Amino acid sequence: MAGRGGRGRGRGQMTFNVEAVGIAKGDALPPPTLQPSPLFPPLESRPAPLPGGEELEYMLALKQELRGAMKNLPYFVKPGAPRRDIERYSDKYQVSSPIDSAIDWSPDWRRLPRELRIRVRRLRPGPPHAPPAAALLPKCKQRLALDKEEAIKKLESLEKKEEEVTSEEEEKEEEEEGKEEEEEEYDEEEHEEETDYIMSYFDNGEDFGADSDDNMDEAVY
Amino acid sequence: MTQAEIKLCSLLLQEHFGEIVEKIGTYLIRTGTQPLRMIVNDTGLSLDQVKKALCVLIQHNLVTYQLQKRGFVEYEAQCKRVLRILRYPRYIYTAKTLYNDTGELIVEELLLNGKMTMSAVVRKVADRLTETMEDGKTMDYADVSSTFVRLADTHFVQRCPLVPEAAETPEVPPPPAPTLVINEKDMYAVPKLNLVGKGKRRRSCDEDENHEHKAKKHKKDGEDAEPPPDDGIYWQVNIDRFHQHFRDQGIVSAVANRMDQTSSEIVRTMLRMSEVTTSSSAPYTQPLSSNEIFRSLPAGYNIVKQVLDQYLTLLADDPLEFVGKSGDSGGGMYTVICTDLHKALASLATATLESIVEERFGSRCARIFRLLLRKKHLEQKQVEDFAMIPAKEAKDMLYKMLSENFVSLQEIPKTPDHAPSRTFYLYTVNILSSARMLLHRCYKSVANLIERRQYETKENKRLLEKSQRVEAILASMQATGAEDVQLQEIEEMITAPERQQLENLKRNVNKIDASENQVDETIFVLESFIESTLKKP
Repeated sequence: MAGRGGRGRGRGQMTFNVEAVGIAKGDALPPPTLQPSPLFPPLESRPAPLPGGEELEYMLALKQELRGAMKNLPYFVKPGAPRRDIERYSDKYQVSSPIDSAIDWSPDWRRLPRELRIRVRRLRPGPPHAPPAAALLPKCKQRLALDKEEAIKKLESLEKKEEEVTSEEEEKEEEEEGKEEEEEEYDEEEHEEETDYIMSYFDNGEDFGADSDDNMDEAVY
Repeated sequence: MTQAEIKLCSLLLQEHFGEIVEKIGTYLIRTGTQPLRMIVNDTGLSLDQVKKALCVLIQHNLVTYQLQKRGFVEYEAQCKRVLRILRYPRYIYTAKTLYNDTGELIVEELLLNGKMTMSAVVRKVADRLTETMEDGKTMDYADVSSTFVRLADTHFVQRCPLVPEAAETPEVPPPPAPTLVINEKDMYAVPKLNLVGKGKRRRSCDEDENHEHKAKKHKKDGEDAEPPPDDGIYWQVNIDRFHQHFRDQGIVSAVANRMDQTSSEIVRTMLRMSEVTTSSSAPYTQPLSSNEIFRSLPAGYNIVKQVLDQYLTLLADDPLEFVGKSGDSGGGMYTVICTDLHKALASLATATLESIVEERFGSRCARIFRLLLRKKHLEQKQVEDFAMIPAKEAKDMLYKMLSENFVSLQEIPKTPDHAPSRTFYLYTVNILSSARMLLHRCYKSVANLIERRQYETKENKRLLEKSQRVEAILASMQATGAEDVQLQEIEEMITAPERQQLENLKRNVNKIDASENQVDETIFVLESFIESTLKKP
């Protein structure tokens, strides 16, 4: 209470002797700040220029190269392609963009925890055994074991192999209860389509109307 | 981890590994050790994406995992290691200066891939070197292997912890995660490989043909080839060793600045002799006798033994105290000398602080700062007197430094009731806390620099793409042989002001990149100093 009356009298009474810190009597104090400090305060002294030199320029070049190189490595994980609004038939035959469930490089799985393993499946060229993703899980395992031996023989004799990558989340969860599945190898090739047709022969049908009529030997009325 | 560090880590991860890895890395740094389920739940990404990202992070030694007792695996991010990404160019350049292009490429491959087997490294590096050589010459695997062995012997690359050789009993299921062990003795042991071969040059003319053939071949090879003889033995870059090297470089250049070239050479010899025997956190190097130093001096320096002794005495008496005499033996004829690494780091850090104060506040502030460093505690009045600066200005400068936390106030009460009028207020400089504050600021600066660079690049994205396209067109036209007129037309697709804009962009981006490298050097000095104070023997 007694202190309240002292407000306004004298410049501002502090609890300690202001002179000790160096503010002499009658000195002008800077005005109080009423707003946050400016975003880009003017620099009092210009910073020294960057040192140049061969060494630093080389390191600069290295840095930029490294950045560029890392963008192209398989370690740069790009998000999966966004789904288009309508599924088109031609999607199946176009080169697919990065798939979430695929991994482009092969880490040494022995060094990593089992739960991180992204397994990749090769769809057999023989459709009857092709397992749909969600259903038939315990039976799948046995069928697949047999399939694998047959398939290996088939594949070894074929020159060209087709493969497809599917996600195996559901199957894996089942596996963890039972026995472990045999390991599948993931082939690091480009995702080739699961079709026997040569890609370049595939006609989108866009040129339909524009075909020339040169070979129309049929009756011209 | 401070906010500034987390921000910087997330920017580095995003630039080098993409958004998904960045999200997961930042989440782990922020929340600590987490199992897989939590990561998937909290980040909102799909399980596959999280798995992929974790594989990438573990491969690059940025995340470690641990098998908990209850049977699940927890992942932990190494924030400090992520910050090292900033220093990769410096590591590569150092390898180049020490071991030429071969060493440079080996270190670069190891840094880009995290861990690799020796055979894989040798093969890749040989291929890369062959491509840069003239037609007809190839790089032999043996050369690359020998450089690799030298890198391992000097501890610049080390082995990664190994998967233990567990006996495969069918009843005991393998654990969900391997516990990796490393034997100290084996860390630098190079496996006996017989790598024979030469680097392959990729021919661009029949590349397409080769692609298909190679594709088929690889499939067959992948199934038939046996695992390489050093399968399972992975190598990584030994970052601590590089840091030791940088520290030694700093000390040698400090001595060279303070005294002369010869003394710096002596110190360099001493440090080189104790390179492999001293661990990175030791406060002193091994004591060396002056005889040993004399024998190990580089060939160009023929100084007499007495001169060497004089130099050693000079170094030992220097107030910087880099080098200390730890004893006389043989009746004073041989001095045993060791380098005080912690003091050296402290001096380097102090010098950095002083120069920062000078650049930021001016030379008179720097004078006050150095005065306070020398005299430890001073009152207001004493500062004015010793520094010979008028009272008003001295006051102003002290307050400026105080407000920026370079300088702090120490109260010493005369009476037990701490009455302000009867208390001494002393100004002092605490090096450790100033160093920490500056380090934090450095992290913030680098984060700002990276953001600005990304902003600049984004602003001019359209222009950059256009220029890339034009370059591609030009290159293809030149390859197929086009007239100059046509080339000129294509070049004119980019107008003069656009060219100017591109020039500006390039200059700015270069400047920012160079600044990042520069700040990283300061970060290194400050971090080493702070680390040396933390580790108590």
